[in-house]
Amino acid sequence: MRTTEKLFAQLRTHKDTRWLTVWVAGLLCIVLWDLAFLNRPAFMKIIQGFWNTMAIAFLVTLCTLLFAWVATNLLHTLTMRTMRVPYLTLSFALNLLRSVPQIVGVLLFYVLVASLVQKGSLSSSAAIAPFMAVGMGLFIFLELTDLMRERIDHFRRLDFYNAMRVCGVQEKRIVNFDILWKNSRVHILNKLIAVFGMAVFLQCSVDFIISVGLSNNVNAVNLPSTLGSLLAKIDSKQDILALGYTLTHPSYAAHLPFTHLLGLTVAFLIVFTLLCMHHIANGFAERHRL
Amino acid sequence: MNASSYAVRIGAQGRQLVSVDNFSVAANAITFLFGESGIGKSIIAKALYGLLNPAEFDIAINNQPYRDHLNDPWTRAVRHNSFFVFQEPSSHLNPLMKIKDQLREGSLVSTEHEQLILEQLWEKAPAETIRSITNLFPKPYRPSGGEKQRILLAMAFKKISAYTGKDAATGPALFVFDEPTGSLDNTYRNLFLTMLFNRFHEKKFTALIITHDYSIISEVYGSHRDLSPHVLYHELSRTGDATVAVNDFSPQSYLGWLSSITGAKQDATGGKPLLTIKPDFTIFNKKMRVCGDPVAKTPAPLIIGKGETVYLKAQSGVGKTTLAKIVMGLYKAQNFSMDFMDRIIDHTSPQEVWQQEIWGKKAGLVFQHADEALNLQATVQETFAGLPLRTPLTMQGLKQRLEELFEGEITDAFLSKKVAFLSGGQKQRLNLLRTLILDTSLIILDEPLNGLDFASIKKVLALLEKKRRQGASFLMISHNEEIFDAFVEKTKVYYLTAL
Amino acid sequence: MKARVTEHLLSFVLVALVLICALFILKSRQDTARTASLSGIRDYTSLSFMDYDDPFQRALLRDVMDIYFPGSHDRNDSLVTAALRYRQEAFNRSVQTSDMREELSAAKAVQLFGMYLKFLFVYVLVMAISWYGVQTLAVWRFVAERREPIPGRRVRQYFLRALSIGASLVLFSPAYVIAYSVRTEFNTDTLFFMVLLGVVSNGLLMTYANKFHAFLTAESRKGYVETALAKNLRNTWDTRTGISLAAIVRPLKRFDGHVFNHIFMNARVQYFSTIKEQASFLITGLIIIEMALNIHGHFSYEMLRQLLYGNYDIVIAIILGIFFTVKATEMAADYLAHKEWLKYENH
Repeated sequence: MRTTEKLFAQLRTHKDTRWLTVWVAGLLCIVLWDLAFLNRPAFMKIIQGFWNTMAIAFLVTLCTLLFAWVATNLLHTLTMRTMRVPYLTLSFALNLLRSVPQIVGVLLFYVLVASLVQKGSLSSSAAIAPFMAVGMGLFIFLELTDLMRERIDHFRRLDFYNAMRVCGVQEKRIVNFDILWKNSRVHILNKLIAVFGMAVFLQCSVDFIISVGLSNNVNAVNLPSTLGSLLAKIDSKQDILALGYTLTHPSYAAHLPFTHLLGLTVAFLIVFTLLCMHHIANGFAERHRL
Repeated sequence: MNASSYAVRIGAQGRQLVSVDNFSVAANAITFLFGESGIGKSIIAKALYGLLNPAEFDIAINNQPYRDHLNDPWTRAVRHNSFFVFQEPSSHLNPLMKIKDQLREGSLVSTEHEQLILEQLWEKAPAETIRSITNLFPKPYRPSGGEKQRILLAMAFKKISAYTGKDAATGPALFVFDEPTGSLDNTYRNLFLTMLFNRFHEKKFTALIITHDYSIISEVYGSHRDLSPHVLYHELSRTGDATVAVNDFSPQSYLGWLSSITGAKQDATGGKPLLTIKPDFTIFNKKMRVCGDPVAKTPAPLIIGKGETVYLKAQSGVGKTTLAKIVMGLYKAQNFSMDFMDRIIDHTSPQEVWQQEIWGKKAGLVFQHADEALNLQATVQETFAGLPLRTPLTMQGLKQRLEELFEGEITDAFLSKKVAFLSGGQKQRLNLLRTLILDTSLIILDEPLNGLDFASIKKVLALLEKKRRQGASFLMISHNEEIFDAFVEKTKVYYLTAL
Repeated sequence: MKARVTEHLLSFVLVALVLICALFILKSRQDTARTASLSGIRDYTSLSFMDYDDPFQRALLRDVMDIYFPGSHDRNDSLVTAALRYRQEAFNRSVQTSDMREELSAAKAVQLFGMYLKFLFVYVLVMAISWYGVQTLAVWRFVAERREPIPGRRVRQYFLRALSIGASLVLFSPAYVIAYSVRTEFNTDTLFFMVLLGVVSNGLLMTYANKFHAFLTAESRKGYVETALAKNLRNTWDTRTGISLAAIVRPLKRFDGHVFNHIFMNARVQYFSTIKEQASFLITGLIIIEMALNIHGHFSYEMLRQLLYGNYDIVIAIILGIFFTVKATEMAADYLAHKEWLKYENH
């Protein structure tokens, strides 16, 4: 009883937990509804697309964390050792990467993936997915790098950093344990939640664009099916168009959850996931006063 | 609500922050409230004054909901008639608004008395000087911390003048000064006290002064003894994890202790000095000089022998901390040179010298703000991890060392407690201990008594004396001149001046 | 500031150089590839006197080759076969890509420039609207959170809450979801619709309104707010005595005499530092809109089209245009932030 009370109290006070619950509950409702009213092959397509989207977004999050951690440590070491030329070169290169809009970068990376697939260098979905994650991570990780560097700079401006150094504590311990782990992991986790949302958004958008606009090239390429590519399929598009029709013919609304289920489910999964991720990240930030 | 004693309970996010049953502020008297930092003095005062947000805190005053207290006519009248001077002047002024505009906002809109108050707080400085300061935006280094503090005091004095003037407001008033002298040197501190007591002479009002500066007692006893019947001394002390109690503090206990430590002699071991610093150097385009006397400004090398305690004095903001950081290789100063343990180190020496030979091995530095210097998210035990100790610290060994500065037996629960959950005084003791635990020959202490209550001050000084007798050398930096003048031999006092 | 401008200019120049070099390398590689595929058969692919479609002439060519190069029948045969295959492939390619193959000519550059200007126009307009929208939404939310709930209006509150979740779902929808939803009823290919989508889709407004709200919340906990409270500045949040709706929706917001004025001005200065990030987010959003909606004659869709046709020189030119936009925004944002800070500097 107490555990249940605690759980409900947490749901009331913790916005992030509440939205995480809403997300999971929402997904379960959709699964149950689709099981009841959607045909089996379409249902399996949605499950496959959703799974691939989440798996790739998760991999992107991991890649982002890894790249950001490496870049932060590298930049910090170069600063502390006053290695000006390598530092300037690296930060210049990173700034250039920052200047490429994420969608353009990811799109070009997809073209590269497509050409590798066509050459036979990449074949299975299991090999393509991590590759796609690396590409997306490359164009997202700078946001996390900025955060990590801001945190280090913040503590360097305080006595914190020097107080530990003059006690003889090693620099790598101060940066990685005391600053990043002990004092920034909440910030990093919050950013990673946002990165996860961003990865879902970018991936769906790129897949949608590719499926709609680059279909000639990509048809041959066996890219994993995601929510974005499912949405671009003609059936889904028809279903979404029905939404607009309902705006002017409200009586048609009753047909939507039964006859246009594939497109609506895919579109809803994308939007609902993005909204929930946003609220989870915000709730997390509010709870930890970030 | 005009109770003489308040029961205040404050919590946040389901956790009790502080609870006190007997908090009192005597009407028409000046009450000094001492106690270690972080024990809850400020938050209790803010709660009483009606400054806390009921949406963020769970507060009950005399078992009544906080919203009732906020809507109480007494609270409304107090907020209307009075002023609250907050500690940390740097963060309590809007950085995007000129000081002169901030001085005339809200209930401070009247410019009557403003010029006079500013002139008094700036020791009759020319109007141009004051104008140039009030024309500034408050930035981290300009105006200085002391100047910002005086601006906040000027705001309070404007309200006091309005309250005590001819067209005085009616109803209760409570002027709260939270660490009003934290950024002031003794001259300005005494000036503030004189201004406050002069106005109190004109018309009695209620004032609460929250401070750690016990030497204020000597000043009140020395210069304002006639007002003794109207001055009260209280100390807030801990009775439980989040419960505190207000006790009367006997000024005699402080004055008596002070005279008992006066004249303590140091038995230097003789021989070659441990550290010798050349007297002249330049930092941030400012020429600095170490002198042996405060008046003549004749240069004298700062010499610290083995087992000696040296006290470095200077006016607030001159650069005592900066010199400590130069010695520790954190800043580079032009023409700087020191001989430390038979090694000449100067402004050309690379930082690797400090990194490889000095930090934590030959010398250590205790920074003044424990809140910044410690990892608040680490546990007490983790605070001591990563130190370059010759012999690894066992759990038992750590407990023994902690017991030297902390009261009672150190439990495992205390070792795994997050530093953030310690009081300010406990953090300061932890901050000191992290450096004192190192086997270094020289320890530089920057404001070591910051945020400590009287009992802790005595403990810390006893521990420093014990370490000194064991052969450690200390360079003390503190604005708490009264205590260190007594603690350190007169010949071991140096003065830092900006030329 | 000088250092930042130098860095921006340097990357401006460097990237332009890199991309222009890439453009030349691409062209020369295409030429080389064409030359390589012709190696050995170049002389036999375009003989002026030959009618390659005539089987008799093709057999004659083989015989002539055997006479010219006696004893190499197999080699001659494969040479002729290769030359014929090459001609066939070239013909097929030209038929398949007659409307796809394009070069970065002067006329094409002018056409691209027109598209670029249109892109910039939408971009600047969306940026300005979202700048206002972000602040207004954030201030409205911040003020609303501090208002005492009016008793007896629970149903109204639930209704407003549901409405706000519905609005959030729209604001978080990717542009293509919204656009395809209303495509049957509205013309989604207009500039107006692009601007509308740019503002309300892809989560731009929500993300940055939330960021501004976070700045407001963080600032409201600062010490100077306590001093403002001690000075008895207004601290009520209702529309009558606190902050009116007119003050919230005003383009140049001021809240004189209210504690919130201090909070707002400090949050606003911080918001300047996020312009770059917001601009980058917006550009990504606009590119997605143009590409996903397949709006012909738009800059980003053109990039997608050229990518599909393999006209990489045009793709590079478009990327260069987008890069310049990002860099110009970064420079403008740095300048604005610097100018804003200068206002509060002590000289």
